[in-house]
Amino acid sequence: MKRVTLVLAAHSLSRIRVMVFALGLLLAAFQFLLTQVAQFLLRRSAFGQLSAMMPDFVRSAAGPSALAFMSFGGIVGFGYFHPIVLAALVSLGIAIATEPSAEVEGRFVDLTLARPLTRSNLMTRTVIVFVVSSTFVLGAMLAGTWIGLTCCTPADAPRPPARLILSLAANLAALMVCWSGVALALAASARRRAVAGSAAGTAALAAYLLDYLGRAWEPARGVSVVSPFHYFEPAALVGGQPLGAWNMIVLVGTGVLATVIAYVVFSQRDI
Amino acid sequence: MPDRGELPVRLEGIGKQYGRVTALESVSLQVEHGEVFGFLGLNGAGKSTTIRILLDLVRPTAGRAFIFGADTRRDGLDVRSRIGYLPGELGLYGDMTGADTLELLARLSGRTDVSQRRRELLDRMGLSGADLGRRIREYSTGMKRKLGIVQAFQADPPLLILDEPTEGLDPLMQDAFYELLTDVRRRGHTVFMSSHVLPEVERVCDRIGLLRRGRLVLVSSVDGVRHLAARRVRIDFRGTVAPPPTWPAGCEAVDVQPGAWTLRVQGPLGPLVAAVGSLPVADVDVSEPHLEEVLRRYYSDETAS
Repeated sequence: MKRVTLVLAAHSLSRIRVMVFALGLLLAAFQFLLTQVAQFLLRRSAFGQLSAMMPDFVRSAAGPSALAFMSFGGIVGFGYFHPIVLAALVSLGIAIATEPSAEVEGRFVDLTLARPLTRSNLMTRTVIVFVVSSTFVLGAMLAGTWIGLTCCTPADAPRPPARLILSLAANLAALMVCWSGVALALAASARRRAVAGSAAGTAALAAYLLDYLGRAWEPARGVSVVSPFHYFEPAALVGGQPLGAWNMIVLVGTGVLATVIAYVVFSQRDI
Repeated sequence: MPDRGELPVRLEGIGKQYGRVTALESVSLQVEHGEVFGFLGLNGAGKSTTIRILLDLVRPTAGRAFIFGADTRRDGLDVRSRIGYLPGELGLYGDMTGADTLELLARLSGRTDVSQRRRELLDRMGLSGADLGRRIREYSTGMKRKLGIVQAFQADPPLLILDEPTEGLDPLMQDAFYELLTDVRRRGHTVFMSSHVLPEVERVCDRIGLLRRGRLVLVSSVDGVRHLAARRVRIDFRGTVAPPPTWPAGCEAVDVQPGAWTLRVQGPLGPLVAAVGSLPVADVDVSEPHLEEVLRRYYSDETAS
């Protein structure tokens, strides 16, 4: 890897370090709190009551995963697929991936690309920044869960297996890779960050709603396979199923393909 | 690696289309070693597009560009390692300090040994250590411009490409900048600069190229351009002198009074001197033409057409 790429990556990471650190801390605290919520519900024997309160149509629509969710492990794992957590992580990925268009818009790219570095160095820089930032945030979330389960949970609590938590984190990471790749491809051709960011964000929201519709309404199920969220199945994982290799291939593959497109588009465009 | 003897800048039939809009059309140009070349034209004439093609920021739709003999597209890394660039519109991060910005840009140039040159440039441009410690969002337009000049010159590249370099600089700093240009030229470096400021071009440039609507309509030495312009000659007579029925070749009357004629003379003054030799001439005043006069004519042709 070229030294200039690392210089650029260090520069970008230093610019977003506060945001990434704050998000990591916040989500780690959220994961920790969820372990305490699960413990609280366990002490009150409230999981059974919660399941009983669930309407029949929700129970039948969600299947066995609904019952799995109303468990100690389900509550602990909830932080890996809560819509706000999803929104925060996908937004982080989009924010990082749209840096090339921000540099075109702000014209800093004129100064960097007038120096002996290639356009692919800028793309690789963005990929590095994404990998480091998302690894840190997901690592912080895992740390929050681990601390909550090891230090502040009774020994007899039915802790979820580490494999489940890691699978949830891996599925979430794959989703981030997917949307960051899409955002990078959009940013590679955009002159304004707002255009690339809002296009990627709108696409993510539309895909999320499409998947939601597909899960709740049979006629929309066929169309919802085009949504990346269709391949993000935390409820199935909580229900005891293994992490689907196909789901991971689709999500990571989409992200990688979009990233390759971004490299090509950015190398060809006028700055 | 291109030969050191290769021309610093060579454009061969460069064209650039944006959809149906022609930004540049068949621009061919050469810039010699050690010269300061002024690239002129009205807004939208294609100056910045040409500069961006040299830096491979914009891809031409026709022709090729070479820096020191290396193709700007194929050998971009080698080309850009020999260029210092000052953009017309500086995009700096407001939350970075001046010092951090200069350090980052030096590292991206692959140069870490620029501190002595940088100090010298900062002194010349009047930027103090305290200034460099401030965030760029607190800088005035002129200070940003000075920082831009320092970042372009700090790696001491053999070719400097400067887009409107004195925009926003006060007159004192403009002088400091002109001295800097004189120094780099003395050391054999080449400068390719665009400018709107014609007296500045006249002062610092050896040659100029004039773009009009994407076409290069004039390439000449500054002296050569001056010769394209008519000189203004005022002749005072002792007493009343009637004007001749026909003026000598190249002369055109501007204002004719019984005791004084004001003429515009294109070309040598010999025929006029011969014509008035027998007359009671009291005084002759010849005003040398300015570059501005010629260029204004080109510009006004453009706006009229």
